[in-house]
Order: sequence, then C-alpha cells, then structure tokens
Amino acid sequence: MAILQANRISKHFDGLVAVNKVSFVLNPGEILGLIGPNGAGKTTVVNMIAGVYPPTEGEIHFKGKPIHGLKPYRIGRMGIARTFQVVKPFPGMTVKENVAVGAMFGARGKRRSAKEAMEKAEEVLEFVGLADQKDRRADQLGVAFRKRLEMAKALAMSPDVVLFDEVMAGLNFGEIDQAVQMIQKIRHSGITILVIEHVMRAIKNLCDRVFVLHHGEKIADGPVEEVLNDENVIKAYLGKRFKELTH
Amino acid sequence: MLAQIVINGILKGGLYALMAMGMSLIWGVMDIINIAHGSFIMLGAFTTYWLFTLLGIDPFVSLIFSISILFVIGYGIQKYLINLIIRASAFITLILAFGIEIFINNAALVAWTADVRKVKVAYGASNFSLGDWVTIPTVRLLAFMLVIVIGTIFFFILNRTDLGRSIRSTAQDLDAAQLVGVDVARTYALTFGLGVGAAGAAGTLWSILFPISPMMGGILTLKSFVVVIIGGLGSMLGPILGGLTLGVAEAMGSTWFGSTYENLISFTILVLVLILRPKGILGGAD
Amino acid sequence: MKHNALRSFFICGLILIGMALFPLFTNNFIIRFGTDILMFAIMASAWNIIGGYTGYASFGNVVFFGIGAYTTAVLMEKAGFGFALAYASSGLLAAVFAILVGLPVLRLRGHYFAIATLGVAEAMKALVQNLEITEGNSGIYLPMLDMSVRGQYYFFFYMMLATLVACLLTTYILLNAKFGYSLIAIREDEDAANSVGINTTYAKTMAFSLSALFTGFAGSIYAYQQAFIKPEPAFTVHTTVKMIVMAVFGGMGKLFGPLLGAFSIEVISEILSDHFLVAHALFFGTIVILAIVFTPKGIMDIITERKLNVSYFLENIRKHRV
Ligand SMILES: Nc1ncnc2c1ncn2[C@@H]1O[C@H](COP(=O)(O)OP(=O)(O)OP(=O)(O)O)[C@@H](O)[C@H]1O
Ligand SMILES: [Mg+2]
Repeated sequence: MAILQANRISKHFDGLVAVNKVSFVLNPGEILGLIGPNGAGKTTVVNMIAGVYPPTEGEIHFKGKPIHGLKPYRIGRMGIARTFQVVKPFPGMTVKENVAVGAMFGARGKRRSAKEAMEKAEEVLEFVGLADQKDRRADQLGVAFRKRLEMAKALAMSPDVVLFDEVMAGLNFGEIDQAVQMIQKIRHSGITILVIEHVMRAIKNLCDRVFVLHHGEKIADGPVEEVLNDENVIKAYLGKRFKELTH
Repeated sequence: MLAQIVINGILKGGLYALMAMGMSLIWGVMDIINIAHGSFIMLGAFTTYWLFTLLGIDPFVSLIFSISILFVIGYGIQKYLINLIIRASAFITLILAFGIEIFINNAALVAWTADVRKVKVAYGASNFSLGDWVTIPTVRLLAFMLVIVIGTIFFFILNRTDLGRSIRSTAQDLDAAQLVGVDVARTYALTFGLGVGAAGAAGTLWSILFPISPMMGGILTLKSFVVVIIGGLGSMLGPILGGLTLGVAEAMGSTWFGSTYENLISFTILVLVLILRPKGILGGAD
Repeated sequence: MKHNALRSFFICGLILIGMALFPLFTNNFIIRFGTDILMFAIMASAWNIIGGYTGYASFGNVVFFGIGAYTTAVLMEKAGFGFALAYASSGLLAAVFAILVGLPVLRLRGHYFAIATLGVAEAMKALVQNLEITEGNSGIYLPMLDMSVRGQYYFFFYMMLATLVACLLTTYILLNAKFGYSLIAIREDEDAANSVGINTTYAKTMAFSLSALFTGFAGSIYAYQQAFIKPEPAFTVHTTVKMIVMAVFGGMGKLFGPLLGAFSIEVISEILSDHFLVAHALFFGTIVILAIVFTPKGIMDIITERKLNVSYFLENIRKHRV
C-alpha cells in the first residue's frame, strides 16, 4: 500500500492555477523524483503535502489517513519532514541547536527530552557530515553547508517520508555527488523520499520513478529512462534544459 | 440630524486623512512606524500659533511655513539619525522614534509650558446653512478642501516626478534601487521630510479648529495608526478612505453613546480591522 | 562548561542575597526607589518572554499591568478579598485575558502585531474609563495595608523581589526546556518552526500569557502600594515604552538583560531629575536615542562580548546605516 497518496489535488492562487488535478503515489521505501520547468508547481505540491496551505481541491492521504487541511506541525509530527527550497535555518542558533529542534518536536519528539534531542542531533550531524560545524551559528554557513543543515533538520525529525525540494541547487559537482550518496544512505535507513531536482544526473542516479509537472499539470509518470525520453517531456523542457536532459 | 452627523464626521475625517497621509508614506516606503508623528503635528500647530500670535500671520497663510519648517526638520532627522540604523530590525527604528517623540514633546514642554492655547481667528466661528437642516462651519470646510489639495499634490509628487519614481523604487527593494543608482539615503530623507511636512500641514489645520498643547501628539499618533490600518498601506486612497471612515464612525458613536466613548470606538475598530482584514479595507482579505 | 555554570549560579546567589539584605541598611526613600526598580524589572523581564525570546514585540503589555491593578482594587475594595487572593487572581486574570486576545492577535506579525496590542491596551483603558465597576476616571481607593510605615516599605519591596525572582526562575527553567527552544525557533523563523513540528500557536500564546501573568502580579502589588489607582497612569502607553526601552537597553533575549536595563534606566532618570527639574525627560529621550543608535544590542552584549570601545559603537552604525 502507498505510504503517501495525492488524489487530484489542485492549488489556485487568486486567478492562477499553480497545480491542476495532480495525482501520484509514493510507495514505502522508494525514491520518487519530481521534475518540471521553473514555475511548474513543484514547490506548491510540497507545500500542500506539508500543510503550508490546504489544496483548493483533492485529497492527500498519509498511511491511509487524510492529512489535507492539517497544520504543518501536525503533519511534521505524523512523520513527514520537508526541506525548504529557499533554506530556512534558525539563523541565530548554532548548527547543533538547529538540528536538535527538529529532534525535539518531530515524529519522535514527544518521547525525547531536550538532552536526548541534543544527542540525536550529534548523531544526525555525524551522518550528514556537519559534525565539525556544529558550534557555528547557522547564518555563518556557506551554501553547501546550509543545504546540508536543511537536510539534517528534516532527518532529525525521525520522519517516515522526507520531501527534498532542490537540496542540490547551487552545489558544485563534487558536492552533488556527496548529496546523492547521502540520499541513498537515507533510503537505506528505511525512509521514503520525494526528490525535486533540476539536476538530471542526480535524478538518474537516485530515482526509482519520476513524474513531471508542466504548467501545474502532470504530463508523465514512470521509470526514469522512459520518462526522460518521452516526447512531451522533452518538449516541455525544450530550450534551457534540453541539453542537460539528453546527456 | 443624521445628515449633520455624517457631514461633521466627513469634515473631521478629512483632517484625519491628512494626518495619516504622511504616516502612511513613511511606513510604506521605509517600513518605519513613526511613533513621533503626532509630535510633528504638534510642532506644525505651534508654528502656526506663534506666527499668528507674534506676527499676526493668518493660519491659512502660515501653512506654507509649517510645511517647509517641518520638511526641513524631517529631512534632517532622517538623514542624521534614522538613516544610521535603518538596516537594523524594524523594531529598533520604532524605539528610536519613541526616543524622538519623548525628546520633541519635552523640548516643547520646556519651551512653551503645558498650557493649552488657541489660535483665535476672527472668522473662527462663522458658518453657513445648507437648506434648513445642515450647518457647515466655514473653517472646517476650508480645511477639508485644503486636505484635498494637499492630497492631490502628494499624489502628483509620488506618481509624476523623478523623486516619486525613486521613492517608489526604494520602497520595493532598497538594494536593487541602490544598484540602479538611486541615492537611497537622500531619497529616504526626502520621503521622511515629505511625510513630516504633511504632518505639519495637519498641525496647522488642527490648530485652527482645536486647542493645542505640547502633549497633544500622543493621541494623534494613535488616531493616525487607526486611519492607516483601516485604509491599508500602499496607496494615497487608503488614508483618505480610512480617515473618512474613522471620522464618521466617531461622529456617530459619540452622538449615540456619548463623547467619552470616542476612543473606545476608534481602538475597537483598529483591533477588529487588524484581526479581520489585516491589509485594510482596500487590501484583499489576508 | 560545568565550571562556568557553577560560577554564574554563585554570582546570581550573591546578587540575590545582596538585594534581599539591602533594605535592612537603608532609608525608606531608597527602599521605595528599589521597589520601583524591581517593579520595572518584573515588567521588562516579563516583556522579554514575548518580545525578546519569542520575537513578538508587544506594544500593549501595560494592559496586563492595568488589569492586574484593577483586579486587585476591585476585589479588595468591592468584594472584600484579602491581598493574597487578590494578587493571585490578578495574575491569573491577566494571563487568561492574554490567551483570549492572543489567539487572534498573535496571528499578526511584525508591525501589525505591535499596533494591534497597542490598540488593545488603549481600548481597554477607554473601557475602564467608562465602566461603573471601575469608577471611570475618578479612580478607586484600596484598603490600606495595616502595618508600621517601615513594615509597609519592607512588604512591598519583598513582594516585588519575590515576584521578580519567580519570573526570572520561570524564564530560566523554560528556556532550558523544550518550550524555550520552541519560542526561540519561532523568533528565528516561524514557518520553519511550524514545519519542524512546533505548535506555534500554542507556544506563542503560552509565552504571551506567561508574560501577562507576571506583569499582572506587578500591577497588583502596585495598586496595593499606591492605595489608589486611576486609568491614566495604570494603562498609560508610557509604561509599555519604559519596559521595552529597559529590555532593549539591557539586552533583549538575555535572561538578566531587562533587570540590568531597568536598573540603569531608573538610576539614570533619577539622577537626571535630581539635577534638571524640568528638562529631565528631555535628557531621557536623548539617552534612548543615543542608546539605540550606538548599542542596538543592549549593554548585556557589551558585557558578554567585553567590547567597550569606540570601534564597537562605530561598527554598529556601519552595519545598520544606509
Ligand atoms: N504563495 C503564492 N501566491 C501566489 N502565487 C504563487 C504562490 N506560490 C507559488 N505561486 C505561483 O505558482 C506557480 C508555481 O510555483 P512553484 O513555486 O510551485 O514552482 P516550482 O515548480 O517550484 O518552480 P521552481 O523550479 O522555480 O522552484 C508559479 O507561477 C508561482 O509564481
Ligand atoms: Mg520550487
């Protein structure tokens, strides 16, 4: 059975239809990719799942329970963690405190004391390779470390599902490879993952399946190779991203 | 009866609109909540009072002086004080404005004592009747018409001049405006000068209609808040709509409940508008 | 780390003992002055919970002070309550009021929250001016405390001191608990806090309510001490300004910042009004302006960073000017 399921969800902003009747399923243990040109509605999908705003229409189920319309903190506590495309660290806190906050209030938060959360934070920081940055203030980190911190905060919540919204944007090749390896490690720890990414190399290396949004509509869904060779998909991406796709 | 109340409300509302116009401009462009706004209105009022009392200059003529003097004061304060901390959190500028308010009020208190004064113009009490059921005080009508003139000039400056263009571009994005060569420090100073100049004009008109004292500013700042919030930020229409709404609501409220309820009504409206329509009546819901 | 904590604990203990013993060695005038400082220290520290730690700059905290004062006055004068019960009710009523008002108002952010709270305080003042039970603008008398004069000075001093200690202790304990992290997370980035599993509505409403609780206690003691209260000083916006200026001047978001701020501001104002009868408020305004321009982070920052020199001040300006 699907762990996360969206059923014909839409989002309208005033006149603009940002997402139009999109359905998809996320199966336990898989890595699902979500791609599409800028403004296609990818972040809007993440925001609806995470409860930032409710879908204008449609339903979202997590482990069989409806979650559309719940507040973000309820969804976070149920076991869905997300990263923000424009990263949102707690700037005045140290790296370790940032991550500890995730551990304190996420899915297992109720069972963790502040001290236990600090221990969990150490563990996660070790996992993402930020251990030696832990006492720096979050606003003093560079781009690559900020992206990693964003992932660490999500992981510290002990989620069943994570939604990664462009965690590789702005990274160089070496850093992208590290991120890819890290996401694979995360999957092996039993977490189900939705990745949004413009970096096709990463999508190819990571995803079991991928689906494509274009102008808010789903135009393809299936195994990676198949989708990336789909004519509609290539057309949607024509121009800027065409080369990246065919490589 | 009702017509008279509404007309009284509209006439006073015009003055409220003028009070709020400067505050709205400063708030919208620089994200500064000018707590000292009422103190500038007070300074405008006293400018008129002294020009009238010492030199016999007619209040409507002294408008030019109060606007210019207050413009210069505002320009200086922004340039040499507020600009120094403009990038700190908005909250910090708010407290700085509080400091400025305390300073101005107490300087006025030391200079002019706490006495309540009046600008006693000969035509102060003249009025005329429309039909046989509405009386219109001439001075209030004149003041109201001036509010419209000043509002129009304001609108013209903001929308049709180079200064207006720089002001609007810095309002949208400080850094971007700086990049395309706008002198942000100067634009900010001019904006604050304009806003405070408008407060000076409001002070002059206020002094013709009501008694004045160094401590009169506090409640006027609060009223300006109410007007700005009701109308919403971002257009010259906001303060006008807000001012008229408040003026009429107060006039009706104090007729039906008694004048001691005037403040209760204003502030209840303020809180309700903020909760129900935080972007003002003109802005969209949420 | 351990060593540092022990040292801080030791210093706090010494200061507390110092404050507790100080009235025994001085005259009534100074005790009364100390009581005033403590009262503002309570209010500034309570403001710090919502304004400093949670990042919601309330410009209406005086409403809790006024509610506390009036609850005590009405309960003691009209319902014959003893002070202990009136004191407890005052804090609780202020806290409940904060929850009721907080639920809608804490949805606003930044300036809008500030002005909404200001509006709530002004509306409440106008209401109290018009209500019969509060005797409108003529004010209410309270029963006098039945004690020797010296005893009265002691009583109010130690009540304020106990309330301040309770306030600081509560803040300290909460800060080191998960609740404290949720407040700071809200201040740093509310959307991120929410997505990470923090019930932000609950946390900030509780913070507002706690802030109200201690401010209400201060109002209660104040009313009993004055034996007569009126709407204007009880709900005046100047009290709010004072507590904020103290918290900022001392250092907001720091446990002892507001206490330090209350002490310095009160001492400075006292010295000024001693020397300049008419113009002291003028100097006070000047000090607020200079303090904000040169040390926007407060004197706690100077103390902890150990940087008291010209370049520290100039650096602050360089960072924030345009
Ligand atoms: N809060 C909002 N209010 C109004 N319009 C919005 C809002 N959020 C997104 N939009 C609009 O919805 C559309 C989809 O935006 P979204 O951020 O979901 O795109 P995206 O696929 O994530 O793009 P990118 O690759 O650039 O991140 C865009 O046209 C955007 O301008
Ligand atoms: Mg996006």
